[in-house]
Amino acid sequence: MIEVQHLTKRYGPVTAVDDVSFRVEKGEILGFLGPNGAGKTTTMRVITGYMPASEGKAVVAGYDVFANPLEAKRRTGYLPETPPLYPDMTVREYLTFVAKIKLDKATKSERTMRVDHAMRKTHVDDMKDRHCGKLSKGYRQRVGLAQAIIHDPEVLILDEPTAGLDPKQIIETRDLIRSLAGDHTIVLSTHILPEVAQTCQRVVIINRGRVVAVDTPDNLTHQLKGAATLYVQIEGGHTEDALASVPGVQKVSVADRHEKYTGFEVEAEPNRDIRRDIARAVVDQGLGLLELRPTRMSLEQVFLQLTTTEESREEAPQQ
Amino acid sequence: MSKTLRNIGAVAGKELRSYFGSPVAWVMMGLFAVIFAWFFTVYLEVFMKNSMQAQFGGGPQSMNVNMSLIRPLLSNASVLILFLLPMVTMRTYSEEKRSGTIELLLTSPLTDLEIILGKFVGAIGLYAGMLLVTVLYVSILFFYGNPEWKPVIAGYLGLFLLGSCFIAMGLFISSLTKNQMVAGAASFIVFLFFWIINWFADSAGPVVGTILSYLSITEHFDDFAKGIIDTKHIIFYLSFISFGLFLTLKSVDSERWRG
Repeated sequence: MIEVQHLTKRYGPVTAVDDVSFRVEKGEILGFLGPNGAGKTTTMRVITGYMPASEGKAVVAGYDVFANPLEAKRRTGYLPETPPLYPDMTVREYLTFVAKIKLDKATKSERTMRVDHAMRKTHVDDMKDRHCGKLSKGYRQRVGLAQAIIHDPEVLILDEPTAGLDPKQIIETRDLIRSLAGDHTIVLSTHILPEVAQTCQRVVIINRGRVVAVDTPDNLTHQLKGAATLYVQIEGGHTEDALASVPGVQKVSVADRHEKYTGFEVEAEPNRDIRRDIARAVVDQGLGLLELRPTRMSLEQVFLQLTTTEESREEAPQQ
Repeated sequence: MSKTLRNIGAVAGKELRSYFGSPVAWVMMGLFAVIFAWFFTVYLEVFMKNSMQAQFGGGPQSMNVNMSLIRPLLSNASVLILFLLPMVTMRTYSEEKRSGTIELLLTSPLTDLEIILGKFVGAIGLYAGMLLVTVLYVSILFFYGNPEWKPVIAGYLGLFLLGSCFIAMGLFISSLTKNQMVAGAASFIVFLFFWIINWFADSAGPVVGTILSYLSITEHFDDFAKGIIDTKHIIFYLSFISFGLFLTLKSVDSERWRG
């Protein structure tokens, strides 16, 4: 549905996006993850036809955004980082205007229907006669979202849709986005990691304008784990040796030590499940097994690992 | 084609709603009405005094309402728009760029030209509204007196074209900056430049002098104020407007590339 090929964008001497390629399948939610200034917004602006690429191309719903911008734009809904609202217009006036410029083939009654539908879907109908300039941050964001879906686009590009919202609004917005998937292909950018894990089927991690990784959130956390690690919490006694003697264990280290119990980080050989053996070993020693669970690297750790290795690789030749 | 017109209409309608939804339109029309009313009373008084003297003193000729009242009145109105129109055009692009709404327009299935023409038509609409207020005053003259209506139409056509030139140029200047105060001040200076450019015509050489006075936006207005509609002036104004819009188009396009 969306295909980005070797996209490069330079602002004068600064390269904001460097040879970025990825695909988004129909009905998928793709997360675009990266620290601030990584090139997320620039990539999205190229896909939406806001600005042309310096090199490479972007194809949306079969239309090249540069060669055929109007057709591509008809099929794209875009929520920029700051919702593009006119403060002097009421919500209804604003959405009617957007419907006019986005749905240039529709009749007046069709447009009214789309406006009503978008307001219902994003739960802004109770504010429809309020001026956009007087809306709270959460409502602004939702009116921005209503604006993006008003022409029922095949592709939705959302630039940090939950930025600046309170926790309740964040959950509501995520639910809303999930409910839009299927009918729409969605690309959303964020620098908040749990958001990606919760909403997206696939993640593109971007750093300093380059794609660092593309995968599902689960795979990313698995792959990067390297050796399988377990967290074991045991009550009483000195047990490091007992754990180390279990076959398959490569390394044991103390993770946290308390008065009555101690937590251990146990590294096992890859592809070998040693949980049963560890449990037996602990119980045989007459100790209390309080907790035993595989530790997966959190998306935060994955992200940091990916982005920092990228940085060290880049800095190496300079030294 | 009809789609293009519809898009232009949609953008123009949005512009007008912005003008009238905010104080801009009302302040503009109010200021214009008040100052024009003041000019009107002053000139009317002068005119009545003179025509009284002409009656009693047996002056050489009878007074003409068109020549001695409407003409200076419209000339003064043209000075007024020099000050007011920068305030209308300064926000057209600057404000959209500052608030980010330009992203909505540029990612909608609209061409750059449709957006520019929409904004142009919207500003023209407000300007036409301002002129319409003054028609009220002038119609008083028709009610009590017997002026010729053709020169009045010519004068208004001139005012309308003159203002359209300012709007086209102001649109371009507004597209250059995010700051509407800068856009307003720069527009005023540029308008003023085209206003007074013929002052130097006499001191410049014959060739340069002719060019300077041709470029002067006021030289072309004089005939309209006199009640003469000359195609050469209309062509000048229309070229000026097209040039301003063309510059805006180029500015928006290059902005896109620079990001």
